[in-house]
Amino acid sequence: MVVGINANAYGSVETLALEPLHGYGIALRIEQISKGVFRVNAGSLFPAFRRLERQGWIKADWRPTENNRRAKYYTLTERGRRQLKAETEEWGRQIAGISRILTAGIGD
Amino acid sequence: MSLFRNLAMGIRALFRKGQEEQEMDEELRAYLDAAVKEKMRSGMTRDKALRAARVEMGSLESVKEEIRASGWEAAVEALWQDLRYGARQLRRSPGFTAVAVLTLALGIGLNTAIFSMVNALLLRPLPVEHPEQIYTLAVQGKRGWLSNAFSCPNFQDIRNQTNAVFSDVAAVQISSTTGLRVNGKSERMWTNFVTGDFFPMLGVHPALGRFFLPSEGRVADADPILVLGYSFWKERLGGDPNIIGRVVLVNGRPVTIVGVAPEGFRPLTLFIDTQGYMPLGMAVVDNQTRENFLNDRQDQRLTLIARVRPGITEEKIRSVLDVVANRLAVEYPRVNDWRTIHAFPLPPTGPTSSPERSLAVVSALFLTLASVVLMLACVNVANLLLARASVRRGEIAIRAALGAGRRRVIRQLLTESCLLALLGGVGGILVGKAGNRLLTSAPLHADVPIVLDFQFDWRVFAYALAVALLAGVLAGIAPAWRAAGGDLNDLLHGSARITNVGGHRFRKALVVAQVAGSLTLLIVAGLFVRSLRNVQRADLGFDPRHVLNVTLDPGLAGYSQTQGYQFIDGLLERTRALPGVQSASLAATVPMGGMSMADSIAVEGSPAPPGQQGRTAGYNVVSAGYFETMGIPILRGRGVNQTDKQNTVFVAVINQTMAERFWPGEDPLGKRFRIEEDPNHPLEVVGVVKNSRAETLYSQVGPYFYRALPQKRMFPVTLQVRSAGDTESIAPAVIRLIRSLEPNIPLADVQTMTDALATVNGLLLFKLGAGLTAALGIVGLILAVIGVYGVVSHMVTQRTHEIGIRLALGATPAEILGTVLRQGMSIIALGSVSGLLLAFGLARLVGHFLVGVSPTDPLTYAGVALMLVVVALAACFVPARRATKVDPMVALRYE
Repeated sequence: MVVGINANAYGSVETLALEPLHGYGIALRIEQISKGVFRVNAGSLFPAFRRLERQGWIKADWRPTENNRRAKYYTLTERGRRQLKAETEEWGRQIAGISRILTAGIGD
Repeated sequence: MSLFRNLAMGIRALFRKGQEEQEMDEELRAYLDAAVKEKMRSGMTRDKALRAARVEMGSLESVKEEIRASGWEAAVEALWQDLRYGARQLRRSPGFTAVAVLTLALGIGLNTAIFSMVNALLLRPLPVEHPEQIYTLAVQGKRGWLSNAFSCPNFQDIRNQTNAVFSDVAAVQISSTTGLRVNGKSERMWTNFVTGDFFPMLGVHPALGRFFLPSEGRVADADPILVLGYSFWKERLGGDPNIIGRVVLVNGRPVTIVGVAPEGFRPLTLFIDTQGYMPLGMAVVDNQTRENFLNDRQDQRLTLIARVRPGITEEKIRSVLDVVANRLAVEYPRVNDWRTIHAFPLPPTGPTSSPERSLAVVSALFLTLASVVLMLACVNVANLLLARASVRRGEIAIRAALGAGRRRVIRQLLTESCLLALLGGVGGILVGKAGNRLLTSAPLHADVPIVLDFQFDWRVFAYALAVALLAGVLAGIAPAWRAAGGDLNDLLHGSARITNVGGHRFRKALVVAQVAGSLTLLIVAGLFVRSLRNVQRADLGFDPRHVLNVTLDPGLAGYSQTQGYQFIDGLLERTRALPGVQSASLAATVPMGGMSMADSIAVEGSPAPPGQQGRTAGYNVVSAGYFETMGIPILRGRGVNQTDKQNTVFVAVINQTMAERFWPGEDPLGKRFRIEEDPNHPLEVVGVVKNSRAETLYSQVGPYFYRALPQKRMFPVTLQVRSAGDTESIAPAVIRLIRSLEPNIPLADVQTMTDALATVNGLLLFKLGAGLTAALGIVGLILAVIGVYGVVSHMVTQRTHEIGIRLALGATPAEILGTVLRQGMSIIALGSVSGLLLAFGLARLVGHFLVGVSPTDPLTYAGVALMLVVVALAACFVPARRATKVDPMVALRYE
């Protein structure tokens, strides 16, 4: 299955909607929520973060981790939240459309 | 917003690379830690978890590379790398770089120089506030004529009645020469007389002092004040900062200097330097201006400029002006024979009676020709790059093997050619500047202070940059494409010596295009040169050799009209007495000069057929002896002579065309006609002279007549002296004589009649056209010849092996020579045929500017093509001879 950058970015943003997370946390969350369908590796995740950050949809800050090291935590911004809402609605429309096309195909 | 953030973060990444990298490392390490911890939680040992996490993550470096590549700054970095690499490559082959840069500099330079003229003519905005709002007005008469001269009462009415569309209208009397006496020196000063709101309307501020008040200039002779032009103040008065308040003499009247106009302020005359401004009412310092000119509706001398209110459409302006024109035509039917008033944006070259269009055509023509030269230069550089690419195939193959994609290689090579072109662009700007200096430093024999200001402003630099980048891409794209397309395996496995047949065919095609382009340029140049020849050889109808012209106006030294007549008559008498003078006379205008006169005429007893356009004729006002001095043969009757006085019958001497047109089949002697300017004094024809050219060197000579100077006194007047020997030698004697009679009279136009022919209305534009096209043609020819030489030479090098075998098998040198020349000839022939066709198409564009030669003149086409073929063949001959010198042993051992 082809998982494009957009789908990755979308996945990450959706995960962030819940609470601030660091890189691996997000990857893990995506995997858990999708029940293992999407596994995002670091090479796709971090470039996506950078793009989202540049768009102003997420913001990053350094926080101490449990074992006294620093990690970069990502938070969804207000702009990002709005964008997420729009994207979710658009995605829902597309899914609905595709599913209608597919069921019509079966109906034939 | 996010664009700005993106930019800022990218720049931060570029300049604080260390910190950026460190943060990236830290984040990735944290990621790995977290992954390991998570895996250990699900029961793996530490080692196993670490290994699994690393496998999942992949190479740390490639992750980092992907992160770096996600921002725009990555592209900037790649470009920077390419540039540095390209610069190293160019430094490594200085010969190649020098030739390519020079070639491009020539092409870009010509384009830049020509663009700088187009910029001055068409693009540079007027030096005023909101220049797009400034319009000029012109009247269209009921019979169709156009004029942009208005009388003062008409100006006032137009100004008062157009408030709805124009925020202001100002009037200017543009063409006046005054005599300025300052610091004991007499200077001629090109002066504009303007209404008080002229400067405020344009929104300009004085460099020094003040401009005029709206109230100044409304009454004749009431405001003796003067604003100086910037360069006049700088050059003639040494930029004296204490000049304000100084009282000087203008035409003998005391006048106070109140201000200096800003630098480069020439809104009304692009090519003439306005040296002084005075309030309109002061136009009476010219002793031929009547005191009541401000109230005389017939005295049409003013040019109008208007500022359009913001948001007003052209339609609205038109409807308002239609109404105003109609109202004024009904109110003053005798004076204002108007159909309508037109308004159009003030052309950069100054007010005209109709929107200027020919400038755009000329500009397009020369830019097209210049771009052909640029193409030729690009093809040459492309050929050089192609030849170089075959040398660099190994290097490119290695880059490809190391993982550079095809696009990456093309980008690298294009960066290199653009770098070359940018260097060429810098050279081009220097070439362009030098070219301009050459052009503008040519002495111009003009009776007005000409300035040719083709300064390089940001537009010119932007154009040069754009042209350079375009040239870089044009020259580089094909070679880069071909170089990047080579098959890796072939190259790396050593079969690289196989002749690149496709590449050679491509280079040949480029050179064919070059020959075609060069031939087109040469043909256009040939047409222009022939047209210049035709104009130079045109029968003038007078003999310009050994004639000296001295234009003078005693009014500029403060003489009254009557004093002026006495002075000038006395001067003429004494000039005739000078040794070496054959004859001397006076005339109001000089052939091809800046001034010419014409009037409507009515032939007695033969009214113009109804419905036909009125009859007009050009005229000059001359003294006795004029036809002897100018060498114009008198065919019938007599010329103007001493017996023609103020109180005798008013006479006219007419030319052949006038005799034939207005008295066909009749004897014109003794017939009379009236002129509109002075209908109370009918002129009696007393002589017929041969047609001679007065206004242009090319059009048909129209009806023309000569009046006697005592019967119509005019200033300035030109003293014309025919000498037995050299014109130059008589000039000092004449000047000494004038100075001895009146030291304060400014003399500017002392020139031979032959020089006078070289002015704007004479040969100047023809010379300019021929010179520019010839320069373009010669540069084009050189470039094409280099191209032909290069491709044939390359062919010989590549076929050395084959030629060696042929020679070894018994081919004679003559046969080898023939083979190579045939190859060159095929390129030249193909190029010439396409060039002829191309020129045939393009020539229609230039037909407009040619005199006496058809745009498809077979002689020019054949002659120029023949010359090109001969020169190009000569270029082929050099490598062809080299081919015959190939030593079979050496050529074969080379394997």
